[in-house]
Amino acid sequence: MIRKYIALLRMKYIEMLAYRLATFVWMTGAITQPLITMFVWMNIHPEESESFLFYFMAVIFVERMTSAWDVWELDREIREGTFSNLLLRPVHPIHWAIAENIVYKWLFAVILAPVWLVGAVFWPPLRPHMTAGQAVLFLAAVVLGAALRFLLSYSCGLLAFWVTKVAAVYGVIDVISLFLSGRIAPLEMLPPALREWSEWLPFRYMISFPIEIATGAADGGELARGFAVAVGWMAVFVAGVQWLWKAGMRKNQAVGG
Amino acid sequence: MRRYGRVFREFFRACLVEELEYRSEFFGNFIASFFGLGIALLTIHIFFYQTDRLGGWTYGEVLVLLGVFNTLRGWIDFALRPNMPRLLEHVRRGTLDYILTKPVDSMFYVSFRHLVFWRLIDVALGFGVIGYGLYVERYVPSAADVLMFFVVMTASLLLIYSLWMMLMTTSFWVVRIDDLSFIFDSFFDTARFPGSMYRGAVRFVITYVLPAVLITNTPALALLGKWSMAAVLAALAVAMLFLWASRRFWRFALRFYTGAGG
Repeated sequence: MIRKYIALLRMKYIEMLAYRLATFVWMTGAITQPLITMFVWMNIHPEESESFLFYFMAVIFVERMTSAWDVWELDREIREGTFSNLLLRPVHPIHWAIAENIVYKWLFAVILAPVWLVGAVFWPPLRPHMTAGQAVLFLAAVVLGAALRFLLSYSCGLLAFWVTKVAAVYGVIDVISLFLSGRIAPLEMLPPALREWSEWLPFRYMISFPIEIATGAADGGELARGFAVAVGWMAVFVAGVQWLWKAGMRKNQAVGG
Repeated sequence: MRRYGRVFREFFRACLVEELEYRSEFFGNFIASFFGLGIALLTIHIFFYQTDRLGGWTYGEVLVLLGVFNTLRGWIDFALRPNMPRLLEHVRRGTLDYILTKPVDSMFYVSFRHLVFWRLIDVALGFGVIGYGLYVERYVPSAADVLMFFVVMTASLLLIYSLWMMLMTTSFWVVRIDDLSFIFDSFFDTARFPGSMYRGAVRFVITYVLPAVLITNTPALALLGKWSMAAVLAALAVAMLFLWASRRFWRFALRFYTGAGG
């Protein structure tokens, strides 16, 4: 399996290099929305500018590390029928998707981490104050968040076996996540009702939770509860993908004849 | 000019026929537009949950701005966005040759051939929000306000068209679908809020270099009675300048394209 993965990673890496410019464009595009939101919050609470700067820079970083695009890929592949090619290959298609995610996110990390370092030299508010333990938990939370978002996106993508407007379905989910994952506002700024929802739904664990660990906002019992909820959702999503996959395969063959 | 009017009407008819094939989608699209606007309103509500002014603009004024933004985005999604992937496709496959041989201007053709009608819902909803914002603000625009509003709105549409066209033209060099409109969206999103909210270099860039702020803020201010003749003329001048630049860029790209095609 490891050898297979190395081969997959290599192929995805080459593919990525072929679209260097597109990759770059795509990265810069995702940066503006958090920046705009940051300006709004700095305007509302000028005295907390520095913590907003750290928060929204962290949002950009974590958002890139956990972003998921598989729903659009799957939607297109299933609709156009090219998905069958993937099925013929000896490795389960989800591994191709995972390999692709690893390669791109590795690239994002390699580019963004030095940018952050340089930024931290010039802007003291960007310097993180994390203990080693916090840093480990932060990384664990980022990986967990990436897995959650990937599985959500992949399971939505699999719906393309039944529905033609999968992108729209995912769009709605994404908008909900905009509020509840901490992209529009740090979760503590939300009205209490929304905030409560955010703790039980999976979206917070995709972006906000790692940042809360980094800033020290979540610790002790809150931390343990957060990880428990995230792992719970993880189990739900894994089961969901497996079930959708099986059902989808039956449906797919029925159409293919 | 008359001929282009006729050609445009023909595009309009063809797209309408095409769209009526998919009538069942209308309802879903209608919901989607409402949903999108609801989300934008909720966002502003969350901001104003913590404050009563954003960059010096009150809640009602920001609503008017959001309405203008929504209207303009509706126009983009109606006339411009559907054409972007098609041009990329034409360039990639070389089918742009067929368009170049047609007896209409190629820039006109590639930017208006495909229209998506249900996006006009966003335009209507945008006007609704403008009305609601004015109601919240308790301001009744005078006839001069409304006139100026439509003048700068026209300038804004021209500006948007030029910026969009310049971006679209880069597809001669950058070929991968979706990536390009994504850039425009992220830039245009800055126009959702008052320009006075931004600071430093960002403020300078989106006011003077890529005039996102000009595009939405001036019409909103005009309708709120805060227009000045200088600002209106400046908006028109900038729009003309960008239109000219985009035209030149398209010409330049075409020379490049024929050069590559042989």
